[in-house]
Amino acid sequence: MTTDLLVIGGGIVGRITAFELAKAGARVILVDAAQNAGSTANAGSLHVQMQSRFIRIYPEHAPNVERALPYYKQAAECWGTLEACLGDMHLVRKGGLMLAESAGQMAFLEEKARREETKGLDVALLDRAELDRVAPWIGPQIVGAELCRDEGKLNPLLANMQLAKACADLGVTCVTDRVEGLVVTADRVSAAGQKGHYRASEVVVAASWGSGALVRTLGIDIPTAPEPLHMNITEACDQRIDHLVQHAERSITLKQFKTGQIVIGGGWPADDHGTDQVPGVRAGSIVGNVALAARLAPPIGALRIIRTWAGMNTTADGASIIGRLPGVQRVVMAVPGDAGYTLAPLVAQMAASIVTGRDPPADPSPYSPARFAA
Amino acid sequence: MTEINFTFDGDGITATDGQSLAAALTGAGRREFRVTAQGSPRGIFCGMGVCQDCLVSVDGTPNRRACMTKAADGMTVETQHAFPELGTDSRLPETPRVRVLTPDVLVIGGGAGGLSATIAARRAGADVVTLDERTVEGGQYYKQSADGSLLDAQQAEGAGLVEDARASGAEIIRGVEIWGAFDGPLVLAERDGAALIIRPRTVIVATGAYERPIIVPGWTLPGVMTTGAAQTLWRSYRTLPGRRIVVCGSGPLNMQVALELADGGAEIALVAETAPSPFLHPLRGARLSIHGPALAWQGLAMLRSLRRRRVPVRNGLRLSAVEEVESGLSVTFRRKSGGTHTVQADSLCMNAGFEPQNEILRLLGARMTYDPAAGHLRCERSETLETSVPGIFAVGDCAGLGGAPAACAEGRIAGRSAAAQSGHGDAYDLFADQRALRRHRRFQKALWQLHDVSPTPVGGLPHDTILCRCEEITVGDALAGYAVTPGHLGTLKRATRVGMGRCQGRYCGPAAARLIVEHTGEALTDRSFFAPRVPVKPVAINAILAAEEALCSDD
Ligand SMILES: Cc1cc2nc3c(=O)[nH]c(=O)nc-3n(C[C@H](O)[C@H](O)[C@H](O)COP(=O)(O)OP(=O)(O)OC[C@H]3O[C@@H](n4cnc5c(N)ncnc54)[C@H](O)[C@@H]3O)c2cc1C
Ligand SMILES: Cc1cc2nc3c(=O)[nH]c(=O)nc-3n(C[C@H](O)[C@H](O)[C@H](O)COP(=O)(O)OP(=O)(O)OC[C@H]3O[C@@H](n4cnc5c(N)ncnc54)[C@H](O)[C@@H]3O)c2cc1C
Ligand code: FES
Repeated sequence: MTTDLLVIGGGIVGRITAFELAKAGARVILVDAAQNAGSTANAGSLHVQMQSRFIRIYPEHAPNVERALPYYKQAAECWGTLEACLGDMHLVRKGGLMLAESAGQMAFLEEKARREETKGLDVALLDRAELDRVAPWIGPQIVGAELCRDEGKLNPLLANMQLAKACADLGVTCVTDRVEGLVVTADRVSAAGQKGHYRASEVVVAASWGSGALVRTLGIDIPTAPEPLHMNITEACDQRIDHLVQHAERSITLKQFKTGQIVIGGGWPADDHGTDQVPGVRAGSIVGNVALAARLAPPIGALRIIRTWAGMNTTADGASIIGRLPGVQRVVMAVPGDAGYTLAPLVAQMAASIVTGRDPPADPSPYSPARFAA
Repeated sequence: MTEINFTFDGDGITATDGQSLAAALTGAGRREFRVTAQGSPRGIFCGMGVCQDCLVSVDGTPNRRACMTKAADGMTVETQHAFPELGTDSRLPETPRVRVLTPDVLVIGGGAGGLSATIAARRAGADVVTLDERTVEGGQYYKQSADGSLLDAQQAEGAGLVEDARASGAEIIRGVEIWGAFDGPLVLAERDGAALIIRPRTVIVATGAYERPIIVPGWTLPGVMTTGAAQTLWRSYRTLPGRRIVVCGSGPLNMQVALELADGGAEIALVAETAPSPFLHPLRGARLSIHGPALAWQGLAMLRSLRRRRVPVRNGLRLSAVEEVESGLSVTFRRKSGGTHTVQADSLCMNAGFEPQNEILRLLGARMTYDPAAGHLRCERSETLETSVPGIFAVGDCAGLGGAPAACAEGRIAGRSAAAQSGHGDAYDLFADQRALRRHRRFQKALWQLHDVSPTPVGGLPHDTILCRCEEITVGDALAGYAVTPGHLGTLKRATRVGMGRCQGRYCGPAAARLIVEHTGEALTDRSFFAPRVPVKPVAINAILAAEEALCSDD
């Protein structure tokens, strides 16, 4: 198949990229393996404040994350625009709470809030009394919290469908196939899939954990190690929890969807069964993650967990990878890195603007793949 | 029989001690138990804890299954609304009780297969723990009555098996919800809020089957239930599902239950069998009587008894719609020969075959192959009924439909084999049971050739038919979702929410898997169905909290 532009990877980044390119008038083919997309597994948190999980697990990446804070805020705002233009995604932006259980954790949040404020985030520190007013369901051991008003939540399944419909409406051709390698020649780029061959004048690689292996066929080494993560969901109850909820020290995100269901995640590990099998759920993750949620929000204890699942994330090197490959023509990268669902609209719009030559919504140069030049 | 009293939405209900809430409410003429997010009433459907449509709130705890909860004096029971209020009590529950069990053999399921395995393994000297979700003993075929009375020879035979299992010295724990199974093996369960952590040497999975429904417009209406649900109401709780009943679908269970309900005093308006009359297939009938003369004879006797009670039995009728009318339900069938046939009743029982409860086996990684004749997955097993996962055995219907006599023989084989694997006995000389098993299997094969459990193509159903009961997704919604993001069952689920509800896709999953292959033309395999995931059944967050505390102190 031959087209103007090819997008590899049909997660949220690939779909928004294809949508933007088609909107600009290009003929677009989107090739997606339809396996283990983070976009179909994620928790729908719109993250803006620094996640303690990230700082703890990847301390070497923390400076990258801190530098990128205004970029997370801008991305969260992009979702509002997208929803207004494409239809309901159950987007709610009432802010995110990071809970502290000790004076030490509170001190950590104070320092974090101070640094985030200098980056332009809308943050506040709440003591227990203030917290009781906005979150009367918290456990007795919670001493206070940081509130980041820029944060929010949405239902990724709805957002994914809105983008799929928008792409279809603009005539994007969607193909289910796994691309095994790329070849760049003087006048075009070719992608060899398991089922077919795809040729275009340019390609956008939005294949998340699959991106590293793809560009390795062009001799460039980009780390996109797959990270299988665990999720839990409850049956529905009345709307009670407005905020995205996290913890100052421990791995957890907890939120309530508009369906009334409570989604519990936050980066607990799952078993990697290879990229063409779904990851396996670990006993330690369901038990540890859910028990932590029960302690932070005891009234949810009577609800039942109805399902767990696991999906593939990649944090890359802690920062997004956006832009042209060093020393290779016709290949543009679009990999969001950590909290990639939040970042997706901005990453996709920047990648699309690099292809179309239009003004990018933000300066992509800090995220250039040039940092991986051999 | 002790009388007990409780309230339902403020009205006083009188029941007999031992009855499930579902039976007590049915006896009192109440059949709407919950209201869905879209405002539709629902009641009992499966009667065995699978469909999650019988939810009520009990003493303030939301989402309790009425069919699995014993009615108790003084209970406050309320209609379950779709969005129950989250309490405001921010205290953590008191530290619950915890038990850690490390038997040689863990038997999951206490039906025909599980009890037989329990007895065999225990007699070989193994230390055996047997867990069952229900509080009433005997599994499906041998289900006992809550008040201990015996209805017929089948129940008496079951009582004998239950007694032998009890006397064997195995620890049999009932009312246990198993929600997690992991490599190790590690099995996590709860009982009344307490956590059970089981680290057995070997596992025998004997979780049986649930019933395949007939998906048609109106199959979610209160008063429509599976044939087995009606049977449990009667056999275990001496409650009739209604006064005027239609039984439909395919297979011997329908006729048997129609007879039981008629003897119990119900008017059976019609027994509709999808397959053509067996007299049109004399060869198949002959094959049946060769492979199991006694059982074939039982079948004929059943038919005669129904005739004697003037119960109309019609072949070649396929259910096509159920509607609510003033007098109850209006049930419409399509005749094989063309035209329709409509009957009025106040309840409709349906059974169109069985689906194995193979979630635990699939979770543990046991290899499955699709059996087109039965329309479901079968678990690959060795001669000793060990699955592809060493130390994990499967017996009875959970491995693929086989019937109660086969389940018993399989239980005896697997019980001795698992015991031997954990160092007790030698499991030598299993020939007699293996021979019996081959005979039972031949009979089953011949039996099902007389019936028609082939599912109707989903694509051919009216578009407003509900496909996913829990999430209220219609056939039209599913087709529209498939059109936007074609792919596999997982893609369809994420596009439409098909299979995302509380029954975890047990009813819509097999149908949706077929909808996909109707489009792709690919063959069904293990991966065509929803991926098995914990929890095996919905489990309260507080029960997981209890398990965490147990695991932390155990490690
Ligand atoms: C369990 C979990 C929870 C998460 N929670 C959140 C959250 O709450 N908030 C947040 O902001 N982020 C969250 N994330 C991260 C977020 O989901 C991802 O970063 C984001 O969805 C990535 O989008 P993507 O489009 O880049 O990639 P993906 O959605 O992963 O899509 C990549 C697609 O490319 C395909 N592909 C790969 N290789 C090839 C190939 N060679 N050829 C063709 N196709 C290929 C894949 O099959 C896949 O469909 C979470 C991730 C996980 C796993
Ligand atoms: C509703 C129904 C009614 C039936 N009635 C008849 C009949 O009248 N006549 C007939 O010939 N055949 C009947 N069958 C078919 C019958 O199931 C089999 O022929 C036979 O009972 C198989 O035995 P088994 O041990 O495999 O399963 P079962 O006897 O069904 O036993 C399985 C046991 O495992 C328990 N269990 C399942 N999952 C779990 C779990 N996760 N944790 C703990 N315990 C669990 C169940 O509660 C049950 O007690 C019926 C089937 C169903 C589903
Ligand atoms: S009727 Fe109770 S769960 Fe199905």
